[in-house]
Amino acid sequence: MSDTSEKQEAVRPRPFPDDASADYWRAANEGRLAIQRCRQCRHWNHAPSMNCPACGSVDLAFEDVSGEAKLFSWTEIHHSPGPAFADKLPLLVGIVELVEQPHLLLVANLPGSRAEDLRLGMPLQVEFERISEDCALPQFRAVGGQS
Amino acid sequence: MWAFANKVAVAGIGYSALTRRSETPLVQLAKDAIDTALADAGLTRRDLDGIATSPGMPRYGGAKGTVEGVDVVTPWYLGEQLGVQNQIAYTGWTNGMVTQAFIDAAMAVASGVCSHAVVYRALHVPAGSYINFDSAYASGQDQYFAPFGFSVPPAWAATVLRRYFEMFGYSREDMARYIVDNRANTQLNPNGYWLGKTLERDDYLDARMIADPMSILDCDIPVDGCAAILLTSAERARDLRQKPALLSGMAAGTHSPPTGVPMTLEDIWTGCEQVADRIWASSGMAPGDMDNAHLYDGFSPFVFLWLEGLGICKRGEGLAFLRDGHAALGGKLPINTGGGALGEGRLHGMTQMIEAASQVSDRCGERQVPGARRAIATISNGLTKSTAFVFSRDET
Ligand SMILES: [Zn+2]
Repeated sequence: MSDTSEKQEAVRPRPFPDDASADYWRAANEGRLAIQRCRQCRHWNHAPSMNCPACGSVDLAFEDVSGEAKLFSWTEIHHSPGPAFADKLPLLVGIVELVEQPHLLLVANLPGSRAEDLRLGMPLQVEFERISEDCALPQFRAVGGQS
Repeated sequence: MWAFANKVAVAGIGYSALTRRSETPLVQLAKDAIDTALADAGLTRRDLDGIATSPGMPRYGGAKGTVEGVDVVTPWYLGEQLGVQNQIAYTGWTNGMVTQAFIDAAMAVASGVCSHAVVYRALHVPAGSYINFDSAYASGQDQYFAPFGFSVPPAWAATVLRRYFEMFGYSREDMARYIVDNRANTQLNPNGYWLGKTLERDDYLDARMIADPMSILDCDIPVDGCAAILLTSAERARDLRQKPALLSGMAAGTHSPPTGVPMTLEDIWTGCEQVADRIWASSGMAPGDMDNAHLYDGFSPFVFLWLEGLGICKRGEGLAFLRDGHAALGGKLPINTGGGALGEGRLHGMTQMIEAASQVSDRCGERQVPGARRAIATISNGLTKSTAFVFSRDET
């Protein structure tokens, strides 16, 4: 669809959904944060997989979560990780812990935050950043000026 | 205790030249290292009947080079290149790290499958930026990291270090002493990549950030080169040229990394503690028995996390141990006396193995810990594929 000159521009890597992750990315594209959950033992699981890591069951489904999280850790990247990020430096990346379960962790950027304002455990809320026609990324923003 | 404790020994060590990018093909560097290790032991290629490595390329993102002799050197190819393929009784090739191949090779020697096994790690630095995720799509685990710009391993380590700093009130100031002392150790190591380049405290504090709080000086330096270790039985080693370094115990970890994120402080602690339980059980020793330690430093935080995992320091106190200079030569527990991978170059743990073996056989020259009887080497970050080894002085 796009012409050659466009193709040669740095493209932000897009997730390539697989059997385990297709529903995760589909939900994100619809503006929902849905996390895989075991129907047997009720364990939340991210990244999604074909078996429950807690009990081994294959009876897994995605459920929408609150989108509330606490900041678990972070880094401010100064060395470009790839051509698509060269103009986005420094780039904040957070490890966020969803409130649904201890150590239910995912990676996200922290739009609107500055590194010096970040604190362990600070509350965050999901939002979505559209990076292509068929892909939106879950991102996390500090809640209510507490950043 | 391991039934074969002190029955296998390091009898020779060898390095190729270690440079950032070599004109010499990787296979030639591997041959150089192996020939040096054989000669070190007083042996020749004719004596070699075991060969082991983990040949994979570590490059992250983009094309992974797989050209034999250029990007990787498999043991079969190397056997042919050395002209020894018809005498090799044991070939080891693991998808884990090279130190997993070391475990296999030690067992091959212990069980009599072969007599003289060489374990080598040959590493190649590809052209261009070492870490450059230039694919349009990210699959597998990458799909959860790369779209966010989180495809850089130092950034993963940075989230571990940041959490540790925040939990215990440390900062980069507390890491400076170790980095400076470690570079000073490198000056005493003829193989050191950073030989001739010392560091001051401010050089560290002002160092270029890769992923805050990880600076360029918190990352090991990727090199073109190879290191080799010659293993044989302790009995045989006593007849060879060098004083043997006895292998007293070995352990491999199986604590999986988390899945949604590449690594966490808590998982690394748990993994290091698991490896620690196993190495102390295997060797029948305790932390206090070690005279020196060689702790994996692909990224600097692993050094103090291993100190904590091994039980030498409590959780949260490892960085204070480094800050207060206890890891320096002459300190309570000298660590990475040859400068580790930060100073010598990235050889995926071979640095730690060789330095530990060298200390207990009085081969460290100006950086020798006087009379060192026991040394521990730990490799990787505590998660799956991590290993640990105890080497002892031969006192028979
Ligand atoms: Zn389950």
